[in-house]
Amino acid sequence: MLAMTGVVKSFGTNQVLRGVSLSVAAGEAVVVIGPSGSGKTTLLRCINLLEDYEQGTVTVDGMPIGYRIDPRGGQRVRMSEREIAAAREMIGIVFQSYNLFPHMTVLQNIVAAPIRVKGVPRAKAEARARDLLALVGLSDKAQEYPVRLSGGQQQRVAIARALAMDPKLMLFDEVTSALDPELVGEVLAAMQQLARDGMTMVVVTHEMSFARDVADRIVFMEGGVIVEEGQPEQMFAAPKTERVRQFLKRYNDRYRI
Amino acid sequence: MMKTFAPLLHSYWYLFRGAGMTLLMAAASVVPATLLGGALALVHVFGRRTARSALQVYLFVVRGIPLLVLLTFVYYLLPLTGIDLPPFWGVVVVMSLYYAAFMSEVFRAGIESLPQAQWDAARSLGMQRHLLLRIIIFPQALRLAAPPFVSLCANLVKATSLVSIVGLWELTMASREVVERTLAPFQIFLGAALIYFCICYTMALYGRFLERRSLVGH
Amino acid sequence: MPFDLHFIVRLIPALLQGAEITVALAVLTVVICLVWGLLVALAQSRGGVLSWIAGGYIQAVRNTPLLIQLYIIYFGFAMAGFPLSGFLSGLLALCIQNGGYVAEIYRGGLQSVSQRQYEAGRALGMRRWTLYTVVIMPQVVARVIPPMTNQAISIIKDTSQVAAIAVMEMMKVAEVWVESSANTYDVFLGVALIYLVLTSVAGLIGKVAERQLAFAQ
Repeated sequence: MLAMTGVVKSFGTNQVLRGVSLSVAAGEAVVVIGPSGSGKTTLLRCINLLEDYEQGTVTVDGMPIGYRIDPRGGQRVRMSEREIAAAREMIGIVFQSYNLFPHMTVLQNIVAAPIRVKGVPRAKAEARARDLLALVGLSDKAQEYPVRLSGGQQQRVAIARALAMDPKLMLFDEVTSALDPELVGEVLAAMQQLARDGMTMVVVTHEMSFARDVADRIVFMEGGVIVEEGQPEQMFAAPKTERVRQFLKRYNDRYRI
Repeated sequence: MMKTFAPLLHSYWYLFRGAGMTLLMAAASVVPATLLGGALALVHVFGRRTARSALQVYLFVVRGIPLLVLLTFVYYLLPLTGIDLPPFWGVVVVMSLYYAAFMSEVFRAGIESLPQAQWDAARSLGMQRHLLLRIIIFPQALRLAAPPFVSLCANLVKATSLVSIVGLWELTMASREVVERTLAPFQIFLGAALIYFCICYTMALYGRFLERRSLVGH
Repeated sequence: MPFDLHFIVRLIPALLQGAEITVALAVLTVVICLVWGLLVALAQSRGGVLSWIAGGYIQAVRNTPLLIQLYIIYFGFAMAGFPLSGFLSGLLALCIQNGGYVAEIYRGGLQSVSQRQYEAGRALGMRRWTLYTVVIMPQVVARVIPPMTNQAISIIKDTSQVAAIAVMEMMKVAEVWVESSANTYDVFLGVALIYLVLTSVAGLIGKVAERQLAFAQ
């Protein structure tokens, strides 16, 4: 479903991604873990071209997004704004800071893109929005403004908003890092349900228990490269790489002095 | 008490007519200033380098020269160029061009103060530039820009007083005429000040109301 | 270049003489308002009747044109029997109006210093005077420099209005030259240029001050 090959990205002189290749099968839930600064968030943002990257390509369901290889010359060409926007409809992303539109109600937030970008008729879009709100457990908040909701509620609205575009792939960028601990559970539950329903997802998170429970595959990144990937049980019990072992040991031993 | 303020009580209606002209002048200037200011803000944020540099020069000049200087010289220059423009419209043109600069900065600040995250979220949903600007960026930017915009409008009203120096008739000129007739400068100018105060303070209160309202949604 | 060099050579010294008055008015106003504005802002923060009076004063001068305030002072004093010179009236009017604006700037600066700074200082045992001079005011000064610079530029431009009461600052000088020589265009260039220089210098001073005084903001 998702294929990233050889992605290289620098911020100025700092090379944040040093040739990352990742593929995700349809229906698979991949969780990316690793220390801060490892490039996890940048990797996610490169998928739907919120960040430009110098080398590499990304394809979703076989269709390139962001850059394509020109068949005649073989060089890398940036796609037009229109093509990129169309490709972005296939990908849903939920951000750490929810990024809801504060001047719109919850319902308006969810239907804005389907109506204006996909041309879905208002009645149909609103019906779907209400279904999604029920899915994330916020049916009674449709007419509220985001400022009146808790962080966890806003994040669930953000998930519903992304799902309203019927994406083939969902990206989650540390979506619970900004939440109070008591609100984390409801968001992770929603994500777990999505995974069970067969959504293809790439999740960047610090929540190790979520990674262990929900991931079909875990990817460990550090210093801009993928260090190791594998099944959660295998990685948590017997990691192949020393670095991963250190990282997980610190997590396992986190309350020991 | 009543005796000292008698001159004012006799002439207040004349002053009100002056205030009417003041408001007319201000209103006629605000509209083009706002439209031009909005256009210039877009150039400042989205324009190409040459356009932006030209704009920087324009802003530097306008913000560094007193309005009175511009008004005076246009007043003297206009007859010489042969353009047959009534002084009222000459003043409106100058004030529009002058305040457009300040308004463009206010609008630009509104747009630029929106977090990048709003752009990210909208783009991620597949929105392209025109849609994104129209339903996500501009509504929020205008809400943020509204309080300083109202403040600029109040400044514009006060600035109309300058046209009296080049001989145009509005509230300040009207009060000068009455003072010459009645020789009661204190009372008359105080009355004019009161009228200006009512107009501008109302606008200031509205601006504060807008400011409180814009915080609610954010 | 389409300007008359000989004319400009005669014009510039005259304009510069006017500029002297302009600068004198502006500098005096800025200096006086830095103190006066602070007093008004402190009065407003104290609460009670003083705060109410200060607040009223600020609203009164912010919502009336400088020109009207100028006329009230100049003609008012003259009619009352204590005629003031144009320069003095202008200075008084400028200080009265800008005192209000500067007070608002100080108020914004004072408010922007977090309540926690006060708590931290008190927790360390500081009394009011030390707290204000060592902890609070340095932070206020840093935050207040950019808006003060803008206000100073605004003051320079406002001095032109004093031409209305025949003070020979730069605008008035220019007006006289325009009427006597009918060479509007060149006079305008000269005046515009000098004002731009003055306001730019003020802006530069502000930026330098910002760098020197705004530590770790």
